[in-house]
Amino acid sequence: MKDFASPPASLPTSPETAPHPPTVSEARLLSVLDTAADGIIVIDEHARILIFNKACERMFGISAAEAVGQNVKLVMPTEYARQHDAYVGSYIRTGVKKIIGIGREVQGRHADGTVFPLELSVGEAATPDGRQFIGILRDLRPRKESEQRLADLQSELVHLARVSAIDEMGAAIAHELNQPLTALMLYLQAIRRAHSRGVDIVTVVGDILDKAAGEAERAGHIIQRMRQFVEKRDPERHARALDPLIDEAIDLTLLGQRHRIRIEREAGQNLPPVSVDPVQVQQIVVNLVRNAIEAAAGAPDPAIRIRTLASDGSVRLEVQDNGPGIAPEALPKLFEAFASSKRRGMGLGLAISRTIAQNHGGDLLVDPGGNGRGACFTLVLPAAPVPDEVG
Amino acid sequence: MRVHVVEDDAGVSDSLALILRNIGHDVVSHRDAESLFKGPVPEAGDTVIVDLSLPGIPGAQLVRWLLNLAAPPRVVVITGQSQGFIDHQLRGLMPDGVMRKPLDVDAIARVLPHA
Repeated sequence: MKDFASPPASLPTSPETAPHPPTVSEARLLSVLDTAADGIIVIDEHARILIFNKACERMFGISAAEAVGQNVKLVMPTEYARQHDAYVGSYIRTGVKKIIGIGREVQGRHADGTVFPLELSVGEAATPDGRQFIGILRDLRPRKESEQRLADLQSELVHLARVSAIDEMGAAIAHELNQPLTALMLYLQAIRRAHSRGVDIVTVVGDILDKAAGEAERAGHIIQRMRQFVEKRDPERHARALDPLIDEAIDLTLLGQRHRIRIEREAGQNLPPVSVDPVQVQQIVVNLVRNAIEAAAGAPDPAIRIRTLASDGSVRLEVQDNGPGIAPEALPKLFEAFASSKRRGMGLGLAISRTIAQNHGGDLLVDPGGNGRGACFTLVLPAAPVPDEVG
Repeated sequence: MRVHVVEDDAGVSDSLALILRNIGHDVVSHRDAESLFKGPVPEAGDTVIVDLSLPGIPGAQLVRWLLNLAAPPRVVVITGQSQGFIDHQLRGLMPDGVMRKPLDVDAIARVLPHA
């Protein structure tokens, strides 16, 4: 076996570790390696580093002179490092490829201890000195950062659309709050009047106060329901039954609605749970039901049908209205942001709803109806794999 | 005086009945226009308080029907809706009073003749 300091002849090594001046082709290869933007590491069958290019020096904060000759575990976090020898040994024994020829996301460790995500692809070369493995590494942090930024922006937008929906429902919600406030005020004034006139109200006052408290509680619930919906939270995933979420969202949508709509609700039997962000799914429901109510408003007997059903591995929610259907010219832009034909709102509802559905691994589909049929929107969500919490 | 209250919200209807009886009126509560139609027609000396947002037959339609009676009762509209909605619903109609929710006893006393 060769000494650590003298790498095999088959591949050149960094000039500072080379025992002899490189040949022209070695020099060319070294320059290619050091020019590469990606980190390149070559190891032998014993996982000893033979080549550690400039990009690797930057990525791991270790000089080639230090790295060459050491086990490649040097640049791995402890939990990976422990298994790496076993991986190499297993491949050499069995020939079963776990990573070779396949890219994979792994973790690297900088000399300062920072652990960071890497994309690693591994190639293999048979050389006169035995097998060597060539790893090409790309620091995934910039990509992860921009993915995170994108996710943050998207979640901002989803929240914004929710706030906008509540804003549009503002007048209706004010009306809904007016009901318990009116009742509360009148109950209290009834007691006040009786009291100031010296009427004996001892027998009824408890009952009236209970009713007044009930009305105050009702006002509180309205505020609470609204607050849950608009408050900013990080996206989450829970395995949940879809129907109760839908019923809550329908209640929220119907706050202060002017009652001129018939809601047919059909809940599916034995639906599997779905893994969802509950508030985001309710956001879709609120959006679809509001649209449906608006679409049906002009019908002689405005009605919407909201039903859930299971269909191969997924749960579907259908919201069907009995309005005029969607005009063919509106269809291509239906799911585009800011393309709404409505006077109110930002025109974000359907665009955001579809984005949320797709982020859940599902989709939002439309049957535009027309010719006497209303439109039908279908939210498809994959059934949750396990009934437990999924993070 | 007899006061009919046509209001679908149970809390509002109940508290309104309580305060009206407190003021000294006879109160007949209806949860929608349809149930008012089933009973005796309100008389000229009566007052009908109509919530604009009713299930079934809309409040404005009931107001129109009442005002078109040969001997119309006094008609008072109550609503928690926006001014725009009220104007739109009541166009062409002249009820004796419009009260916006939340209501209080003084506002009610002002639009009703003394008991």
